[in-house]
Amino acid sequence: MKVEDVVCPFCGCLCDDLVVEVENNRVTSVENGCTLANEKLMEDHRLKNPIRRERGSWKDVSYDAAIQETAEILLDADRPLLYGWSGTHGEAQSVGVHLAELLGAVIDNTSTVCHGPSILAIQEVGHPGCTLGQVKNRADVIVYWGANPIDAHPRHMSRYTTYADGFFVKDAFKERKVIVIDVRKTESSAVANEFVKVDQGGDYAVLSALRAIVRGKGDLIPVKVAGVTREQLFRVADICKNAKFGAIFFGLGLTMSPGKNKNIRNAIELTEELNRHTKFTISPMRGHWNVYGSNEVFTWISGYPYAVDFARGIAFYNPGETTSVDILRRGECDACLVVASDPGAHFPRACAEHLARIPTVQIDPHVNATTHLATLQIPVAVTGIDAEGTAYRMDGVPIRTRKLYEGTYPSDLEILGKIYARVKEAKGS
Amino acid sequence: MRVILKTRPRAKPKIPIEAETIIPQNFLRKNDIRVYEGNKERKLEDLFYVTTEGPAVSPDQVEVILTGDTGVIKRVGEYMNAGRIIVEGDIGMHCGNFMSAGEIIIRGNADSWLGREMRGGVIRCEGDAGHYCAAGYRGEKRGMRGGMVEVLGNAGDFAAEYLSGGEVHIHGNCADLPGVEMRGGTLTIGGDCLRPCGNMTGGTCRIFGTAHQFLPTFRRNGSEVAEYGGKRYRMAVYRGDIANRGKGTVLIRE
Repeated sequence: MKVEDVVCPFCGCLCDDLVVEVENNRVTSVENGCTLANEKLMEDHRLKNPIRRERGSWKDVSYDAAIQETAEILLDADRPLLYGWSGTHGEAQSVGVHLAELLGAVIDNTSTVCHGPSILAIQEVGHPGCTLGQVKNRADVIVYWGANPIDAHPRHMSRYTTYADGFFVKDAFKERKVIVIDVRKTESSAVANEFVKVDQGGDYAVLSALRAIVRGKGDLIPVKVAGVTREQLFRVADICKNAKFGAIFFGLGLTMSPGKNKNIRNAIELTEELNRHTKFTISPMRGHWNVYGSNEVFTWISGYPYAVDFARGIAFYNPGETTSVDILRRGECDACLVVASDPGAHFPRACAEHLARIPTVQIDPHVNATTHLATLQIPVAVTGIDAEGTAYRMDGVPIRTRKLYEGTYPSDLEILGKIYARVKEAKGS
Repeated sequence: MRVILKTRPRAKPKIPIEAETIIPQNFLRKNDIRVYEGNKERKLEDLFYVTTEGPAVSPDQVEVILTGDTGVIKRVGEYMNAGRIIVEGDIGMHCGNFMSAGEIIIRGNADSWLGREMRGGVIRCEGDAGHYCAAGYRGEKRGMRGGMVEVLGNAGDFAAEYLSGGEVHIHGNCADLPGVEMRGGTLTIGGDCLRPCGNMTGGTCRIFGTAHQFLPTFRRNGSEVAEYGGKRYRMAVYRGDIANRGKGTVLIRE
């Protein structure tokens, strides 16, 4: 069976033009997808059933027993942590937030290790952003700062920027200027019109210098700023000021380097400064598939986009204190539920060690690094393959994903719904 | 009146205790004081041995002494407006949040957000302070607005972020971006620091060590002499942050 207009379940681009062939409850071929999409859609290494660690080895357990045990672990905890959420759909995320509130838990998503600092900066100074459709049709200057889309978002350039012809940009490859700013040469910098190599940790200084130049205070800029020559800084500022419509995309090279949220704030304020001369926008290159959706869902229920602490019965938010990396590093939490992510692969060693010390339950279709730290794992359907639901693209556009076939696994929503019901019953609420 | 709170042994000692109720005025009224251990509400006596000595007729006469495993206790002294708190060891996050008067003395180290958005009073930390010392809450445009925070050791990243009034004195070194977004008040750094005063719009920062990676968007504006620790130093004066139409002043020892 051929299915058209399939939404890719991998990165924040949510490319919705894939064509897949399905045979016997398996995806057998993918058209229009990047390597990442092909791998995600055609993989065949799912965990068959729930497993529990018993005396150093894994034993099969039923879904019902796994759900009951998860509810008991969470009910027994004084400071439970519910982490992940970015690989699943909004409906499941919503149940997760309600579960956290019922338990008095901390709920956090993968923003904590990617664009959490971007959110902090946006909360300070706002977000002059736009949709990717605007960029495709209007932008004649593109800036990638601390991002390598060819590796991390392989179709970003072909669908929205460098190679995508738009309504006002008829011949994109010739008409668009691409600037890549990074600490090293990358595949993306190789296709740029201008590559700006910044010293490690020097982004904040370069952003401040560009702001001063755009404001007409370039006279005090020294010969070099963080490895970038004064001439190149002026050239980049001129390209940006002379754009008809410019778009900055930034990645973890900016959010997770020294200065963190202050780098992003500086970049947003540079964008605001450029808007005194022309139209300029700025957007984060969200990596995890539905991480933007988890921010949306958390916010509309609790008021905060990530790192929400319900311990006192009300939502409290303070990244650095209520973020999962910090909670785990300090050894605060005494139980953890991981949903649709892999902290074992991405978190610092001290956090992984603490996950291994406490009861950790993972809800995920695959065996991954977190499996080796967990006491219990419950396999589920993959949203966008054998489960449906709503996800948000990196620019905040919600897209409905469909089932490609009727699988045998329960969805995240079904499992979380049952855990929620058991907890609610035990709490008598 | 002297109130001595000594922590009791706990089964899960790393679970934080949230104790904004530990302020002198609450002990004067002899309220039923409650604190949180994780997501469980507890009586103060469940987590502390409480000893009270002597009388008091106003909060100014109340001194609270915290001893034991105090490094995981958060929010001690939040909204404090009189009296004194002495912490014999380390203290957890948010100590002295929003305090408007009184005195907090910490014999050990203080975790992050010490004196966050403080309005008045004095905090003296004899060890090191964590990140965001005397800074603002997430998304808040103004940090500390009055009073005095003195740290005898070092401070972490973003010390005195959004400082709007009062005085912050770090005797040791500061990590990244002290005084970032600063708009008023005085920040004094006795040691070294990294990228001070990014995006500042007002206030004065004095640095008596080395300012590493000083930002290119500050304009030199002569020299002056400043006194510190009983000695007089010649200081380079800068104005900025120009990237932000800033009118702040940074003095760096020459």
